[in-house]
Formats: sequence, C-alpha cells, structure tokens
Amino acid sequence: MSTLVEDLAAICGPEYVSDRLVDRICHTRDCGPNPGGVPAVIVRPRTTAQVSEIVRLANRERTPIFVWGRSSTFIGHGIREGCILLGLDLMNAVEKMDFDNQTVTVQTGAIWHAVDVELGKRGWELHVPGSGGMFVCTVGGSVAYNSVPHGLAEYGMTGDGIVALEVVLPSGEVIYTGTAANRASADLGFERYANGPDLAGLFIGSCGVFGIITKVTYRIRQKPEAERFAFYGFDSVDGAVDAAQALQRRQVPTHLVQVFGGQRPVGGRFKPSGEAFLHIVIRDGRAAAEERLAAARSICSAFNGIPLDEKATERYWVHHMYSWLRNTPPEVYYSDRPYTCPEASAFVPTQRVKDAIRYLLDYEREHAAEFAQHGIRIKAYDVYYSRNAAFLWIDTLFPELDPDAWQYGLKMRADYSEYLWSNYGSPGGILAPLAPHIMPKLGGGYDLMKAIKRTLDPNGILNPGILGLEAGQ
Amino acid sequence: MSDEQRAIDALKPIIYQCNRCAHCFDLSWLGTDSREKCPAYRWGHFESYTGRGRFFLARGLVDGQIEYDAEIAARVFACTECRGCAEHCFKYLSTTDIYEAMKEDLARLGLLPPNMAAGLADEGGLGKYHNVYEAPHDERLAWLPDTARVDQQAEVVFFVGCTSAYARQNMALDTYNLLEKAGISFTVLSDEWCCGHPYLAGGMPDKAAEYIKHTLALVKQAGGRQMAFNCPGCQRAFRDDYNKLTGRPAPVEAFSVVELLADRLERGELCMERYRPKTTVTYHDPCVLGRWMGIYEAPRALLRAIPGINLVEMPRNRRDGYCCGVGGMIRWDFGEMANLAGADRIAEAAATGAEILLSACPACVMQLQQSRQKAKARLKVMDITELLAQQVRPLRAGD
Repeated sequence: MSTLVEDLAAICGPEYVSDRLVDRICHTRDCGPNPGGVPAVIVRPRTTAQVSEIVRLANRERTPIFVWGRSSTFIGHGIREGCILLGLDLMNAVEKMDFDNQTVTVQTGAIWHAVDVELGKRGWELHVPGSGGMFVCTVGGSVAYNSVPHGLAEYGMTGDGIVALEVVLPSGEVIYTGTAANRASADLGFERYANGPDLAGLFIGSCGVFGIITKVTYRIRQKPEAERFAFYGFDSVDGAVDAAQALQRRQVPTHLVQVFGGQRPVGGRFKPSGEAFLHIVIRDGRAAAEERLAAARSICSAFNGIPLDEKATERYWVHHMYSWLRNTPPEVYYSDRPYTCPEASAFVPTQRVKDAIRYLLDYEREHAAEFAQHGIRIKAYDVYYSRNAAFLWIDTLFPELDPDAWQYGLKMRADYSEYLWSNYGSPGGILAPLAPHIMPKLGGGYDLMKAIKRTLDPNGILNPGILGLEAGQ
Repeated sequence: MSDEQRAIDALKPIIYQCNRCAHCFDLSWLGTDSREKCPAYRWGHFESYTGRGRFFLARGLVDGQIEYDAEIAARVFACTECRGCAEHCFKYLSTTDIYEAMKEDLARLGLLPPNMAAGLADEGGLGKYHNVYEAPHDERLAWLPDTARVDQQAEVVFFVGCTSAYARQNMALDTYNLLEKAGISFTVLSDEWCCGHPYLAGGMPDKAAEYIKHTLALVKQAGGRQMAFNCPGCQRAFRDDYNKLTGRPAPVEAFSVVELLADRLERGELCMERYRPKTTVTYHDPCVLGRWMGIYEAPRALLRAIPGINLVEMPRNRRDGYCCGVGGMIRWDFGEMANLAGADRIAEAAATGAEILLSACPACVMQLQQSRQKAKARLKVMDITELLAQQVRPLRAGD
C-alpha cells in the first residue's frame, strides 16, 4: 500500500493523498441507506492528466477506482473495499462560457448550481436547473448518473443538455465526444450528434463504469423573461393524472410535479383540498407565459382542480425544498426526523401513475402493522412529469438507527422496485443496490453492456460492481 | 473510558440524523464567490475536517468502528467553531453539539492538542492565571482611567474579557467610554475571570461552568441585572452556555455593546457625528455574534447611521459569512489554518474596495489585523467600538 500511496503522491502531490483511516472512513456512504466499503486511499487530482495517470497506475496495480463527486445520491453508492477513491471536487473550474455557441464548458467537479449562478450573473442559465432537491451535485456526477432534473417537462433529462464530454477511459486514454472529438475544432464543443455514433450517450447514466467524465460542455440559454406558477388540488389521483396528461399534450408546463401522500399541503389563500396536487411552473416570454398559464388554469379546472396558493409552487421552484410542495417551511419538514430516505423510483407511462399509486396505497394498507412496528413514515409520493411520461419518487422514511427497521426499509425499497420494474416501470440512474433488481431484466442490452465493459475495462478498474457488469455478475 | 462514560454515545440519535448531503461545507451553489464555507476543509483538504466528515467519525465511534485517537482529535480540534456547518445543515442539526461531545471525550482521554492542553492547564495555564494570556491578574484593569466604576453597585456589569483587558486595551477603554456616552449605569469587576469560553473549546464544560459561576456571583454582589460585552465569546458564555451547562437560565441578561447602542439609537437617544472624510467600510460578522447568537443587524444599523460612512458587504456575509480563522482557540495548535482563513478573509474584504474593515469582536479584530499585516493589504482593520467611540455622542439640545 505504501508504494501505491507514494505513486499517487508523486502524481498529485502528497497533500492531496491520504491513507489515514480517519479520512477514508468519511467516504463509506452517500445519502442513501447502504454502507459501502472503506477505500484504501483517497486522491484528489486537479487535472485531467493527473486522472489519466491515476487510472494507468490503478491498472498496473490492479486496484479498482471509485469516482467521487459530492456523493449526494439517495441510493447507496456501493464503494468497493480497498479501492482508490478518486475525489474530483478540486476539478471545479468554469472553463468557458461560450455565448456565441450557447454552451458552457466546466470541469467535472464544478457544482451544478454554482455554474448556474455564474451564468445567471450574465442573464443565462444551464439547460436544466439541476437535479432533485440537492444543491451540491457536481456536474460530472449529475451527468454520470443522468439525474432527473427540475424542469423535466420542458427541458428533459440532465443528459439532454450535453453537447460534448471529455472522458478518461479505463485505459487512461483521454477522448472527446461530439464536435469536440475532431481536434480541428477541439475547443468548440457545439454539437453532440456529430462525427458518427453518439459516444456521449455511452457515458451518460453509466455511473462511471465505462469512463471518468472529466469535462462537460453543456447547453445554456438566456433566462426566460417570465416565470408563472399554479397549484391545484384534485379530489382523486386519477383526476390529477388526467389533468397532467392534458397539460403534457398541450406542452404547457416547464415543470410539472404531482404530490400524493405524506404531509398534506397547509395554509395559503385557499383551504387545501383534495387527494392529489399538481404544481405547475411555466417559464417563457411574458405573453407566452401568460398564455400558457391560462391554458394550465383552464385544463386544471376542466378536471375539477381546485386552485391553491401558488406561492408554495414558487417557493419550491426558487428554493428547491420539497417541503414547499406542501406549503410548509423547510424546518418543519426536515427537522426532527432521525430517518433515512431510501429512494425508490421509476419512469412510468403517465396513465400508469394511477396504478402505481394504487399499488403503493395497497402496500401501505397490507403492511400497516409492520409500518407501525418499525416507525416507517411516508414522506411523499412525488411525480415529476416529463414531456410524455412520468418519473415517480417513492420517498419512504425509516429510522436508520434501528437495525430491524433499516432492514425492513431496504425490503420495502426492493418490493417497490420489483413491482414497478416487473410491470411497466424502469429506473433512471442505477447504482449498486438497484442493479440486481433491474439489470437481469434487460436481456441483450445487459449482455451488450457487459461486453462493452470487458472491452473497455478488462481489469475491472472503474467503479466495479456499480452496474453489475463484471464477470460472474 | 467505558462506553457509558462517553458523551458522544448519548448523541447517537442525532448522529444518525445526518443526511450526509454536504451542505455543511459546500456553499458553492450560492456561486463561486461562496465556494469555501469551512476553514478547516480549506486547510485540511479532506472531508474528515468537515461537518459531514466529523459526523462520519462520530458515527464510526458510536458504532464501534473506530476509537478516539490523536488523528480524530486533530480533526475535531481543527475547527474554528464558526458554526457555518450548523447554519446550513439541510436537517437543521446542531453540528457543534456533536463536536463538543467529542471534545469532552477527547479531553477526558488526555487527547487534547499539546498547546491547548498547556493553555488550559491548572498549572501554568488558564487554571492558574484565569486568563488565556497568562498575564498577572492584577493587571486586568490596568487600562482603566480611574477606579470610580470598579466594584460598584450598578444595574449593568461591563464584562471586559481577557483579550480587551490584556491584548486590545483600547477596545476596553472605547467600550467603557461608549457605555458612559450612552448614559448606562455600569460597573466593572476587579476579580473578573475568563468567561470560560476556552474551556468549552477544549472540551471541559465543568471548568467553563465554574468560571461562569465565579463571575455571576460577583455580578450578584454588585446588584447587576444585565451584563454588557464587547466580546461575543464572553457574551455567549453568559447568554447561552450557562443555560446549556447547568440547565438553568442565567440570572442576568447578556447584551453586546452594539445591541445596547443600536437600541438607544433606535429610540433616538444617541446621535452620530459625521465621519470625515467620507469613507467606505465593510463589516466582518464575528461567527459567535452572528451565527451563534443571530446578531447581524445591530452593528450594521449603527454603521449606516454614521453620516459619511458607506457600508459595502463582502460576498460572504451574515449567515454565509466566512470565519476569520481564530475561533475555537485554534491558534494554539493550528496556526497555519488560522493564517489561511485570515488571509482569505482579508483578500475578500480588500476586494470590496473598502478602506476600513470593521468587526465587533476583539479576537476577530486581532486576527484580521495580523492577517492584514501579513498580506500587506492597504485597508485598515478596526473594531466597531473604536469607530463608534469617535462618532457616537449623546443627544444635545437642538438635535
């Protein structure tokens, strides 16, 4: 081990390498419930060249690498015991804001929101506003996981904004995708679908198993003139889903969130009503935004929606706090909860949201005694609608402090995942705890992924176990 | 130390609440100006120096994965107690409660960093001298113009504090004069001891309580019902820590001199002289005054009330303010870290274009003055009491 540490120190400098347990133990978990192994050594490179050298060294030493951004997923990252932990947070520069070509190029460890803030000072913004509710996601991590962002209905997935990537392959070789691949225009990543196959797509959502994303060129746009908000309650889940589909068909929302279960919205100008709730965010030029807002109101009313206080929607959009979906301040929602949130999630067809929520309610009823015994709480069932489908988040909370409750929580997540993925749903990003539930269902696609992994990474160096692509899995 | 004796074990339910979201040390989502939040992480490079990292260590301890040792001590004591982590915790956890418990355990195990151990020792340290400068006790009030206000019966006790008394005596005198100008009936205590704050930083809550009680007994003798401070650390000891340590509210109200003056200004009982020539100032929020006690606006209200003063803010201000690098008594053992934080803060202040950097804490001012000298920065560093002592005057007929 001392040789490995010395070699890493020779690449990055001794102050950026540690094999002390007190440092290593701090990387054994993400925000999810599954503990990982303890890495053997931590290294924090500052350049792509250093990343490349580290990968070559890992191959020579046959020591796997685990790539670390901010580790803010709620799944369980599955870090391998004894690996090299490659912390990319120092590679955080905003390298180029290219307003002519409407792109920004950043190093992988840049924080998504930090880039957005810098663009915002100039009246621009990233193509998607960032993922989920976390403020600290890195750009590289969000792309590698292909996280579900805010603004899904209009802007699409995180990967949809990718123009070009710089990637260190498991061999240590550095490649570029899209127009950036042509060294004649290397500094101009302006089009993703150029120079043949979409190589960027191989790395988006791959969670670093095929290569380490070290630089990202991403689409940007000028901030829209206006943001408008609407918040509606519905007597039934079915009514809310039908309204959501009508909104999708008219392409009304930029961001469309359905909330069901958990703490009901409170306060506001109107008495909260209904079983399911829709939050609608519209971003456009002033006149177009008003037109779309009128359409949203008309559609929601047609499905017997009851208007509620849209300030909750606005606060949620501005602050990215799930509590605002219920019109409660964050401290009400997040404090006093020694709970972990083992996220289960799936893309489902819009109309299937009705069935999914019925399933979840039935599950609650059937397991009411166990829920009570283990202190399980339902934070919420939230749905982010995309252009044509829905992404369902099942946020159950269980007390991690109680080992039995913790085990039960993991079983719940497995049950939810199996039901959804065995019927009509599929996960977005995949990490180690989810891989066994989904990969065997992918048939030839799974085989192809394994073949690609074997070809690119014969020594199994990069993020082994994350997608279950190694021999014997 | 058996498991039952460890302070950290009682906090297991809180430790398990940590979401590991990294909000505690990464503020970069506020923009690249705000990237650095935690001075310890900035210096120490690894996450073990952050709030999230310390929670990992705490969890490792309560789960039996690791045991206290000098490495853990180095991570826990290399903390300026700026409370930036708690202020930004996604789950509103009081992170510093965890650090305090770990410090208490480490102190009991004899794992204090060496200079801190010496500084807090009963033999030759704070325990002997009753001040952190190890200066003779009879020099504590050497700055006083006369003894007219010493050990008198008074509504208000001005608690001078070690730094004002021994290292920044002009601040003691400025505060004294300000209280007089404000028409406050006050006394100072000849047998004032250290407020006990350093003992808390060193994981010795019982000693801290002993010191606070010593002063409170004197305050009672003087008939004091309020205490006035120019040092936020001292103020916190009496305002908040006593309650936490004993389970009882302190028998006195504890106010910062800026709170007292801002209150009188708002009531129209004070005036400000014009500052000449016009100048631009910026204000550094002391972590204890700001994040620990929530006092952000009183100093700003006073500065805005001075004609000729233009107040500009640093990018990191109020709850997002960056620590100057001197809290938690880190200078004793982590001078390099203190220097780095101080240099960062001076650079940030200088970048505003301000001619004067103000703060409201003797320790912050001392640290920032040293950092300014090292950086050869052109801006002047002053405590707010120094400026106010020149500008505040009582109301006159015709005002």
